[in-house]
Amino acid sequence: MSYVYTVARLRGMENHLLDGAFFSRLMDSASIDDAVKALGETSYSQWISQSSGVNFDKAIDAEILATCEELKSFVPDKELLDIFRLPYDFHNVKVLLKGLFKVRGGDTEGRRYDLISKLGTIDTEELTNSIETEEYGFLPYGLTDLIPACWTLWDQTKNAQAVELLIDHAMFKAMLNVAENLKMPDIIQWVKFKIDAENLRAAIRLARMKYDPAKSLPFFHEGGTIRPDDMAKLLNEPQETWSRILSYTDIGSVLGALSEQSDMKAALSDVSKALDDYLLKVLEKAKYSMDSPANVLLFLLTKEAEARNMRVALVCVAGGLDREFGRRLLSNGR
Amino acid sequence: MLGLSLALFGAALAAALAGIGSAIGIGVAGGAAAGVMTEDPNKFGSCLILQALPGTQGIYGLLIAFFVLNKLGLLGGAGAVDLTWNQGLQILASCLPIAVVGWYSAIWQGKTSAASIQMISKKPEAMGKAIILPAMVETYAVLALLTSILMLMGVQVG
Repeated sequence: MSYVYTVARLRGMENHLLDGAFFSRLMDSASIDDAVKALGETSYSQWISQSSGVNFDKAIDAEILATCEELKSFVPDKELLDIFRLPYDFHNVKVLLKGLFKVRGGDTEGRRYDLISKLGTIDTEELTNSIETEEYGFLPYGLTDLIPACWTLWDQTKNAQAVELLIDHAMFKAMLNVAENLKMPDIIQWVKFKIDAENLRAAIRLARMKYDPAKSLPFFHEGGTIRPDDMAKLLNEPQETWSRILSYTDIGSVLGALSEQSDMKAALSDVSKALDDYLLKVLEKAKYSMDSPANVLLFLLTKEAEARNMRVALVCVAGGLDREFGRRLLSNGR
Repeated sequence: MLGLSLALFGAALAAALAGIGSAIGIGVAGGAAAGVMTEDPNKFGSCLILQALPGTQGIYGLLIAFFVLNKLGLLGGAGAVDLTWNQGLQILASCLPIAVVGWYSAIWQGKTSAASIQMISKKPEAMGKAIILPAMVETYAVLALLTSILMLMGVQVG
């Protein structure tokens, strides 16, 4: 299959994506039953009926998984899908390892198989067996070496956060490797911007916790367009100046919300949303190309944003939460 | 005989290169049409029109080839006219505009058609605009066709 076919088919599939007006209507639903009724007109309805009408998380995951499987059947470079799915593999590794850490600590109920996502590229059963039986030989993306390193770190420090960071570092390294092997400049650039975005999120969280800047370097990932050293230096400066300090980078403009917001909770959510939107925006120039492979990743990210919006809207409706705050969390998907 | 060979070579180039370009162009547009129709089979009519646009260059090439064959007396069974190598070369040169421009413009028209097909996938109401965009590329194939015809008409044989 050629990318001309792929992009044309994606254009057709884009017509089925849910837009902002739909989510606004969904948010206005008086009850969860009304929201389910509204979802009846969408592609999510098939999964909601299959999951007994209440397990929205599973329904949303099933919809994204079905989208990935459909794309797999006609996208020429399957590795493009791997870039999107790879974070779910590393999420599963985190869940499984943390469960085993708890089990070894004496908590026999520590395993949380319910948190494992089926969206990864590695079959969840195979991954679970592999980690439980400590046979990592077949695992891709450097997991063969990473998991033993996680165990060593855990044995030495008993620090789950340090293990998570180690896994995240490896994840971004693996994403960059896959992107570089694809030799697609737009995709490589996107992965680098994603690393920047993740580092910025970490910086905002650390600043909020008033974390010691001198000890912050391990929290930042290598491979982005902004060096981890420079990210760590940001913590020495007032947050309202970060936007100006990073003005030489493309991602610096996203921090505008931080300098305008005095409410830290709102600023964090606004910047987080702005970073998600930014990662979509950097791929949007692919929309003007009839055969750019970046359109595949753009579609998947738009679908993921749709799923995120769906979660926000349904949680707001089900929990009777503040709709205005919920609306602010909605990403600009389609 | 060299003159006749050169003239026939020109006719072959016009039909072959323009035809190859059209085949590639239609193939590219066809890929896009298949992608769109997988999601929405109702767009067959619109997609077919846009896919067919890069096919005209192949027809122009064939037209020039017929023109040359007619000029050489090879159609109708009257027998080939005598040509000097200079006259043969003139006919070969006359075929080049549609051969080269037809080949290249068909490929680019195919790409533009593919983009237009993607456009109507999202905005079916813009079909008129979607046809105009690849039709702009057609202009240069038509100019090349005219050039080839005028040049051929200027070549004196027999």
